[in-house]
Amino acid sequence: MENSKISAAEAISIVFGIFVTYTLVALPKSMLESTKTATLINIIYVGIIALFITFLIYKLLIKFPGDDIVDIAEYLGGKPLKVFIGIIFIFYFLFSSSILLRNFCECLKIVYYPMTSLIFIILAFLIAICVTLHHRFSSIAKVNLLIIPLVVISIIFLFIANIENFSFDNIFPIFGDGLFNTFITGLGNLGAFGGITLLYFLPPYLKEPQKMKKVYLTSVILGTIYIILCVSIILFMFVSLMYTNQIMPLYSAARHIEFGNFFQRLESIFLLIWILQMVCYLCIISKISMSTFKKITNIRDEKPMIFVFALLIFAISLLPKNYAISKFIEDYIYHYMVIIVSIFLGVFLLILAYLKKRKKKELNTNHEQSI
Amino acid sequence: MNNLFKKIFIALLIVMLLLAFSKSYSTLNIDNLSVVVAMGIDVSDKNNLAISFQFTNPSSVSESGTSEQSPSIIYTVDASSISSGINLINTYIGKSINLSHCKVITFSEEFAIQGISDEIYTLINDTQIRPSTNIVISKTSARYYLEQSKPLFENLITKYYEVFSASSSYTGFTSNATIGDFFDSLICHSCEPYAILGGVTNNSTEYTGTTNSENDSSTKSNASSLSGQSTAENTGLAVFKDDALIGELNSIETLCFSIIRNNVDGFLVSVPNPNKANSYIDLHVTPLISPKVKVNIINGTPYIQLDCTFTGRIYSIESGADYLDANMLTQISNSCNSYLESILTKYLYKTSKALNSDINGFGKSARKNFLTLEQFYDYNWREKYKDSFFKVDVDSSIRSSSLLTES
Repeated sequence: MENSKISAAEAISIVFGIFVTYTLVALPKSMLESTKTATLINIIYVGIIALFITFLIYKLLIKFPGDDIVDIAEYLGGKPLKVFIGIIFIFYFLFSSSILLRNFCECLKIVYYPMTSLIFIILAFLIAICVTLHHRFSSIAKVNLLIIPLVVISIIFLFIANIENFSFDNIFPIFGDGLFNTFITGLGNLGAFGGITLLYFLPPYLKEPQKMKKVYLTSVILGTIYIILCVSIILFMFVSLMYTNQIMPLYSAARHIEFGNFFQRLESIFLLIWILQMVCYLCIISKISMSTFKKITNIRDEKPMIFVFALLIFAISLLPKNYAISKFIEDYIYHYMVIIVSIFLGVFLLILAYLKKRKKKELNTNHEQSI
Repeated sequence: MNNLFKKIFIALLIVMLLLAFSKSYSTLNIDNLSVVVAMGIDVSDKNNLAISFQFTNPSSVSESGTSEQSPSIIYTVDASSISSGINLINTYIGKSINLSHCKVITFSEEFAIQGISDEIYTLINDTQIRPSTNIVISKTSARYYLEQSKPLFENLITKYYEVFSASSSYTGFTSNATIGDFFDSLICHSCEPYAILGGVTNNSTEYTGTTNSENDSSTKSNASSLSGQSTAENTGLAVFKDDALIGELNSIETLCFSIIRNNVDGFLVSVPNPNKANSYIDLHVTPLISPKVKVNIINGTPYIQLDCTFTGRIYSIESGADYLDANMLTQISNSCNSYLESILTKYLYKTSKALNSDINGFGKSARKNFLTLEQFYDYNWREKYKDSFFKVDVDSSIRSSSLLTES
């Protein structure tokens, strides 16, 4: 584990990377679809809630230094709960990443590989992660730290280069489909903050645990700002996207970038950077899933599991019969999975564990006083 | 042994991926593609559409050197839809049509009147079509328009199509109307689509204006005084209501459109000479800031205020003129203000009362008056636009003449 320790910057980039990857496929569009012109207000609102949840998670996790949620589950309910929670989180990670990979590959197929079978496009990603997963977690985190700035620069460039196509009036009517939709049903957009799930698994990996608060809050704040940036591009550029569906809205925005007659068709550069980010995301998710699996099964070496996990991702990604189903899963089911697993289940478990610890402490104190 | 197994496995994977991806590569290989530079869609007697594809032969340029023009080839096919038309042409020419470099899509006026949403949706759904592809509505048949589009100053027709809309930024007499904007306006609840008005020079047109400058400003495609080797022209704008063509704008109206959309960097305009009756002064006017649009809903009716600020220089000069006189410059500025206000107001009332089409996108500004989308949809902006009232304020400051300040 000592070799797998990561710095604060690497930890921030890992959590932030989850936010980033989901925006590359359909996240900005699904957020716009639910809250329309009020999406920016909604993101600020749910961003504040996400920040509050993150702070709560931090406050609870700090009571169990160096433990992740699986260790805490063991403390709370013994081995059965540990295995149960471990399986739920492994399922969540594999399912969400497989569906995201499937949708990303569907888009790649439409845009660049019309005659290539989807299986081979997915396979190309899996080969990349099989090779990468043989390295330590810290190595993957370092590569992720190199890729993330490129992705952020690409999105900032996308924003700046498209400013002349923006219509800032698209933000009106300010409350979109109404106050109830923006602030109550719009809470569903908390699903965009899927990066929060990783916070439960970071403590054992942190080289400097004292910087945990900084890591947690910074990554969620950066993630919120990043989502605002992505949604702004789509909202200001396309009125049509609120009423129609286009694959990869950010890619559609990239297609509009032209500098005179010389610099055109820059979207391929964007896609190349985004492919690298997708590989990083898959590696991180697989690595976390594998170490969780190792923890619940007590196996000595996780490396033989690389191919098993890769095959699982491959199989799950091929489960949806067509793009409509996989997109539905990503747009709706994934959002609810984030809310149920990451927010409710995780926080609930931490609160119970904290209460148990406090009760135990009180019992100990009473026992000592009685002695 | 383990290493050998690994090497064999990796080699097999590489071969498998090469085979899998080679099909996409060979499909998109330049040798198997025929590059379409422009498309034309007409009404057909035999089927739904008559689709014309204009190709260029790049190899003929390299063979003939740079001094000669590359000939373009036009094929037309009658088909029930664009995709089946492409299929038929693919079979006929033995290559796969590629629309990645299609810069212009032309619809004949006759076709556009019936509505073009199906075709626009199909084209925008095609990954090869760029959102920057220009949309032209031709007064003649689309095929004839493509035939008459000849690059005189470039060797390649592709280059001609690449730059033909560039004059919009310094004349304002045409607009860089793209399929991306068209599609967005088609779906938008607060604006209407528009396209470039194309045509073929017709020298027999009679002019109704009383003075020369009025003739200049009432020019539009198929009704201009131009003559030359290339007879295709792109002056004016085609106005749509939903997906159907409902009217046209002439050059000065298109200039007004370009001013309001902030699409023009500078333009020439002839304003009445304040010191001489029936005489005009040519000014080169530059927008200082983008126009400010304010829309209020008063008693259920849109009240649209437009503020434009310009700076400018005197372009034409006559003998005895003194353009260093501050009073003179103020008078010319005032004349410019009145003239621009008058043409802008006339244009705005034409779009609302005569055409009932908000191509200017005022609806986007109107949305500020509503708190929710439901309220905005209930208001039905697209229909209420015809009841709009306008107030135009122009503040221009003519600074001086150019090289000559007195004569």
